[in-house]
Amino acid sequence: MSLDSAAAEQDGRTTDPEPLDSVQMAVMANRLDGIVREMSNTLLRAGRSAVISSARDFSCAIITADNHLLSSAEGLPGHIFGAQLMAAAMTDLHTDIAEGDAFLHNDPYIGNTHPADHGTLVPVFVDGEHLFTVCAKAHQADIGNSIPTTYFVAAKDIYEEGALIFPCVRIQRDYQTIQDIVRMCRARIRVPEQWHGDFLAGVGAARIGERRLKDFCRKYGKDTVRRFITQWFDYSERRMMHAVRQMPKVALENSGAHDPFDPILPTGVALNIKIAIDPESATIDVDLRDNPDCVPCGLNVSEASAASAVLNGIFNCLESNIPHNAGSFRRVRIAYRDNCVLGRPKFPHSCSVSTTNIADRLVNMTQSAFAKIGKGFGIAEGGCGLGVGMAVISGKDRRRGDRYVNRLMATTNGGPASACCDGWVSFAIPVIAGLMYRDSVEIDELKYPIHIKSMRLTPGTGGAGEFRGAPNQEIVYGPRFDTLTAVIPCDGQTFAAKGVAGGHDGTLGASFHIDRDGNETKLPNITTVHVEAGEWLRGRDTSGGGYGDPLDRCPEKLRHDVLEHWETVERAAQIYGVVFQGRPDDDGFAVDAQATRDRRDALRRDRSV
Amino acid sequence: MAYRITVDTGGTFTDVVVCTADGRLAVGKAMTDSERSFVGMRNALDAAAAELGVDSATILRQAEILIFGTTRATNAIVTRTVAKTAFLTTSGFPDVLVLKEGGKFDPHDFSQPYPEPYVPRRATFEIDERVDAEGGIVTPLDEDAARRLLAEIGAQGYQAVAVCLVWCVANPVHEVRLGELIAEVLPDVPFTLSHQLIPIIREYRRASTTAIDASLKPLMKRYLEDLARDIRDAGFTGELFVSTSMGGCMRIETLAENPVHSVKSGPAMAPVAGRIYGAETGVNGDILVCDAGGTTFDVGLVRQGDLVLTRDTWLGRQWVGDLISMSTVDVRSVGAGGGSIAWVDSGGLLQVGPQSAGSSPGPACYGAGGTLPTVTDAALVLGYMDPELFVGGRMRLDQDAAMRVIAELAAALDMTPEAAAYGILLVTNELMIKAIHEITVMEGINPRESMIVAGGGAAGLNIFPIAKELGCEKVLLPETASVLSACGMQFADIVSEASESFVTTSRDFHRDRVNAILAGLRDKLDRFGAPLMGAGRTAEIRFSVEARYQFQVWDLEVALPADRFADDADLARLVETFHAVHERVFAVRDEQSVVEFLNWKARLTVGLEHPAVVRGDGRGGSVRPVGVRRSYFGNGATVEASIYRGDRLSSGSVVHGPAVIEVPTTTIVVYPGMAVRVSETGGFMMEDAAPAVGRRGAI
Repeated sequence: MSLDSAAAEQDGRTTDPEPLDSVQMAVMANRLDGIVREMSNTLLRAGRSAVISSARDFSCAIITADNHLLSSAEGLPGHIFGAQLMAAAMTDLHTDIAEGDAFLHNDPYIGNTHPADHGTLVPVFVDGEHLFTVCAKAHQADIGNSIPTTYFVAAKDIYEEGALIFPCVRIQRDYQTIQDIVRMCRARIRVPEQWHGDFLAGVGAARIGERRLKDFCRKYGKDTVRRFITQWFDYSERRMMHAVRQMPKVALENSGAHDPFDPILPTGVALNIKIAIDPESATIDVDLRDNPDCVPCGLNVSEASAASAVLNGIFNCLESNIPHNAGSFRRVRIAYRDNCVLGRPKFPHSCSVSTTNIADRLVNMTQSAFAKIGKGFGIAEGGCGLGVGMAVISGKDRRRGDRYVNRLMATTNGGPASACCDGWVSFAIPVIAGLMYRDSVEIDELKYPIHIKSMRLTPGTGGAGEFRGAPNQEIVYGPRFDTLTAVIPCDGQTFAAKGVAGGHDGTLGASFHIDRDGNETKLPNITTVHVEAGEWLRGRDTSGGGYGDPLDRCPEKLRHDVLEHWETVERAAQIYGVVFQGRPDDDGFAVDAQATRDRRDALRRDRSV
Repeated sequence: MAYRITVDTGGTFTDVVVCTADGRLAVGKAMTDSERSFVGMRNALDAAAAELGVDSATILRQAEILIFGTTRATNAIVTRTVAKTAFLTTSGFPDVLVLKEGGKFDPHDFSQPYPEPYVPRRATFEIDERVDAEGGIVTPLDEDAARRLLAEIGAQGYQAVAVCLVWCVANPVHEVRLGELIAEVLPDVPFTLSHQLIPIIREYRRASTTAIDASLKPLMKRYLEDLARDIRDAGFTGELFVSTSMGGCMRIETLAENPVHSVKSGPAMAPVAGRIYGAETGVNGDILVCDAGGTTFDVGLVRQGDLVLTRDTWLGRQWVGDLISMSTVDVRSVGAGGGSIAWVDSGGLLQVGPQSAGSSPGPACYGAGGTLPTVTDAALVLGYMDPELFVGGRMRLDQDAAMRVIAELAAALDMTPEAAAYGILLVTNELMIKAIHEITVMEGINPRESMIVAGGGAAGLNIFPIAKELGCEKVLLPETASVLSACGMQFADIVSEASESFVTTSRDFHRDRVNAILAGLRDKLDRFGAPLMGAGRTAEIRFSVEARYQFQVWDLEVALPADRFADDADLARLVETFHAVHERVFAVRDEQSVVEFLNWKARLTVGLEHPAVVRGDGRGGSVRPVGVRRSYFGNGATVEASIYRGDRLSSGSVVHGPAVIEVPTTTIVVYPGMAVRVSETGGFMMEDAAPAVGRRGAI
C-alpha cells in the first residue's frame, strides 16, 4: 500500500489555521458515512449473485482525487483497504478522465484484490474538477474462468485461470455504457444475466455515490470539504496513535501455514510475519518479506489483499470504531517483497484465491501475534477454509431447463475467542468475520436442484479456553437429479486455528464423498468433485481457537455450555476441570464447587510434572 | 353520546385519548401500573374526562369503541419472561434459531457475545420428516416418535410448543398432523404452526416468528382476558379491540390466538396518526413520521397514502436480535433521545450516545444522581426549556446541575458551555437524520419531496432544523404530538392479512394456480371479515406479491393490478410495476430479466368510523409572547428568545424565531431564521421564514 512516510512522522495535529470544530467534523463525517452506506445498500439489495446479496462479498468506498482512502463503511474488511490502489490505477492509466466516465477494474497486478472482484470506479467531478473517486466492488458469481469457479486454486498461472481481465478499462463515457465490454463479458461469463445484473448494481451504486458527493460539496463548499478531508485524516491518525500508545514497545514474530495442496505444495505454505510496535512514535511496522516466493497456483496474495489482511488483523486488536482510512493507515507501515506469495506477486502468477485462504491465515497470524504481548492483548485464530458449505456448485437444473453456478454460503467455521468473549458462532472465515448473511436452506433448494440433508453445530468442538472458540458445523447435501460439480478450495484440514495465551487450538475440517451405499471417502482439501443423485457431500468446518487457560473459565459458564450443548460433560471435566452434580436433563444440575476446585488443582499439578 | 377511547400503555406512561361525538379529542396521561394495566388506563381516562367535564364512568358506559395498545408482549420478550417453549424442527436442522440469517455489526469487534437463541437449544427437538421444495414427501412423518416426544415434552413441563418444519410452506401435511398430535397428547398446551401463522419461504424467519408467537400465548391469553374483564366490569359495553403491529386493530379474541401481532404495536401507531394529519394538510405525497422519545427516535413512512410495511422487524439489534417477520409497519429506531449521553472520544471528537442515561438516573438536570451530560441537559443550558414547566410542571429541572456537566464536557472540547451544548444538539440531529435517511434510502424516497409529521415529547427541540437539513419544507407537529400513538389508534381500522407462498416466474407464469391462491386468500379474509362488518362499515382487500429479479435474494413488495389475472396483459402490468418499483428503490431496471414471484399476500381493511380532525376551534387569545429568555443558537452569542404559550396562539398565528413555544407536554423551539405557523387544526407547521408581509396573525 502507498503509505506516505513523511506524513507518518507528523503527530496527527492539524496545521489548518482555522480548524473545523469538533461538531462540524462529526457532522461531515457522518454525511460521508451515509453516502457509502447508501451505495452499499444499493449493491446489496440489487445484486443478483448469492456472493453479493447473501455473502455481502462486496464493498463501497470513497477515495480522494489524490488516491487516499477516505471512507469505507460496513464493507467486508478484506475488501476495501486497497480501494485506493485501484483508484491510483485509474489516474495512472488514463489522462482523459471526464465526468460521466466509469471504469471496470479487476486486475490484481495493479491494485485489485483478485479477478473475481469486479470494481466499478467513477471519478466524481465538481465544477469540472476531479475531487473524488468512488468505488463499488463486488465478487462475481462467475468471471469466465476455465472451470466454473472464481476460486481456482490449481491455476498454474493467469492464463490457465482464464478470467477476462480488465486493467481499469473504461466502461462508461458520458454516462453511456460502452456495450463492447458488456458483450465481451456476456460472451464469456457463465449465466451472463446474473453477471449483468451485478454489473448494473455496481454501476448504480457508484452513480449514487457520485450524486451524493456532489450534493455534499454543494452544501459545504469545496474549500470546506478539502479542509475537512485533511482534518479528518488527522483525526483518524490521532485515534490510531492513541490506540498504539496503549501497547508496550515490542517486537513480535509469528508464523502460520496454509494446508498442503497435492501435488503442487506437498507441505503447504509456511508463512511468517514480524510486527514492531513503537508507542513512542505511535507506529506499527509489519514485515512480510520473510515469506516464500510466488507459488505455481492460485493461492498468491495480491498487494491489495495482503494490506487488507494485515490491517484487518491489526484493527481486530484495537479499540472499536477507529475510522479506517488513509489517516489511521499512516501509523502502519508494511514492507513487501516483489514476487513473494504474500505481497507483490509477479505476472503471470495467479491470484485467483488471493482474498481468502492465505489472506485468512495472514489475518489470523497478525491478530494472534498481538496476544504474545500478554493477557488482554490480541485475539485467538479464527476457523478458516471454504469447505463443502462454501463450495461453488454448478450443473443443470432440469426443473427449469437451466444451468446454475453459484457459491453456497452455508459454512460455519467457528470464530476466535478474545480476551473477554467467546468466539462468534456464525463467523465464516477471518476475512468475512461474521458479516455475511447465511443461505436459507429453503432458498438454496429453491434456487439449485440440491437437497440439504442436515446442518448442525457440533458440541464440544470449540477451541477450549477461559474464553472458548466457537464450534464447527457439519453439513450434508447432494444433487436431486443430475450431476453436481462442486469446486472446493478448502484450508484448515491440516493446520488448525491456533489458541492463544494458554487457549487450545480449534478442530480441523474435513470433506467427504458419500456413495449410494453410504460408503464415505475422504476428499482432498482442495478438490473438484462430481456428485450424482443419491450421493452426498459431507463437510465438517473448522472451529475457532480459545483464549486463556481453560482451567480459568468460570464454572457457571461451563454449566450453561453443557446445558446448551456447546460443551460436553466429559470435556468439562477433562479439559476445563469442572465437575457437576446431577445430569444435564435433571433440575438439580449444578456445578460441584469443591470437586471442581480439587479437579482443577489436580490438573494444574499434572501439568507442572 | 358515543365516545371512542384509545389507550396506549407504555413502559412508563399510559396515554388515553377520548374522542367525542363531535370530534373533539381529549388527552390524558398517567403512570402505567405494571401489575394491572387497567389502573393506569383508568387514571389516564380520569384526566381526559376531567378535560371534557364528564366523569370517566360515563365515558366508559357510553363509549362505542375502545382500542387498547399494550407493550405487555414486547416487555415479556425483552425480559425473557415468556412461557417455557419447546421448538420442533425438521430432523437435521436443530440450529435454525442459533444460526439465524447471519450478519453482524463491526467486523473488528470481538467483545460482543454471540446471542442466545430465542428458544434454548435444550428446548429444541428434531422431528423425523422431510418435504422437498416442490412439496414432495422425502421422509414421511414418524408419528410414533412424535407422540413419544410430545409426551416427554409434557413431562418436562413445557407451557407452549412452536412448530416450524422445512418446506411446510410447499406442503403443510406434516405440520398439520403434528398439530393434531399436540392437541391429542398435550390438550392444554397452546401451540403455533408456522405455515398457519406465517407461510413465507426462509426457515429462520418463519421459525423465529412462530417461536415468539407460541411463547407469548399463555401469558397474553391471561392478560387479555383479565383486561377485558376489568374493562367490562367498569361498564364498557362497546366493541373492544387491541392495536397491532400491522397498523390496525383486532378483536381481543383474535389477538389471543396470535399474540405476536401485538409486539411493537405501539410504535406502529404513530405512522397511522401521521398519515391522517398529513392528509389533513392536503399533502398527497410521502410522509415521514418521526416519534422522538426519551431514549429512541422512531421513524415510519407513509408512501402515497399507504403505510410502508416490512418483514424485517427485529427485537433487539438487527441480525443479532430476534426477528419477527410478520408484515408490520416499518419503524426504524435509533438510540437517540433526551437521555443520550454526550462524550469526547480519544481523537477529540464530540460523540452522542449510544449510551443513554434513560429515565433513571436520567439526565443530570433530573437531580436523580445523573452525572453525565445528556441532550436534555444541553437543551436546558441552551435556554430551550423552562425548568419549571417540564412534563407540564410536574417535575422541576436542576439548571445548575445541567450547566455543571455541560461545562465539564465543554472544557474537554475547548468550547464555551453554550457552544458545546449546541454541538450536542447538532450531533444528535445527525443521528436522527441518519435514521431518516436509512428508511428513505431503503424505500427510494426523496425527503425533499416529503412531509414530516413529528410527535413525542422531545420532537419540538430539533425537528425543524432536522427537516431543514433534509431539505424537507413541510413539517407538522400536531397539537396531540406528545401522544402520537394513542392518537393514531383513533384512526385505526381493523386489519388482517393472509398470505401463501408459491414460486412462479414471469417466463412461465402459473396463472391458474395464482388465481386459485388469490381466490383462496380472498375467501379466507371474507370469512374473517364477515362478523366484523357493522353498520356503515366497508371492507377492502388489497393484493400484493413479494417479487424479485431472477437470481436476486431480497425481494420487493409490489401491488397486484387486480385480484385475478385474466390474461397476459395483467401479468405484463404486474411486471412493469415491478420494474418501476425496482428502479425507484435501486435506481436500475432490468427489462431483460425474468421476474420471480414468491409470496402472495392479501390485506383486509375493515374501516371503522374515524373522528374528523377538528378545524378552526376559534381559539382566540393573545399572540403576544409571555416573556423572553436568553437562549443560544450558535454563532457565539446568546440572544433573547420570545416565549409563547401554545394554548394561547390562535390558528394562523405565525411565530418567528428565535422563539420557544411552550405547550403543556412539549416544547417547540423556533430557530432564528425560521418561523412556525399554528395550523387550522391547532398543530404547528414550519413556515417559509420570508418576512411575513400580509399574513394573518403574523407577529
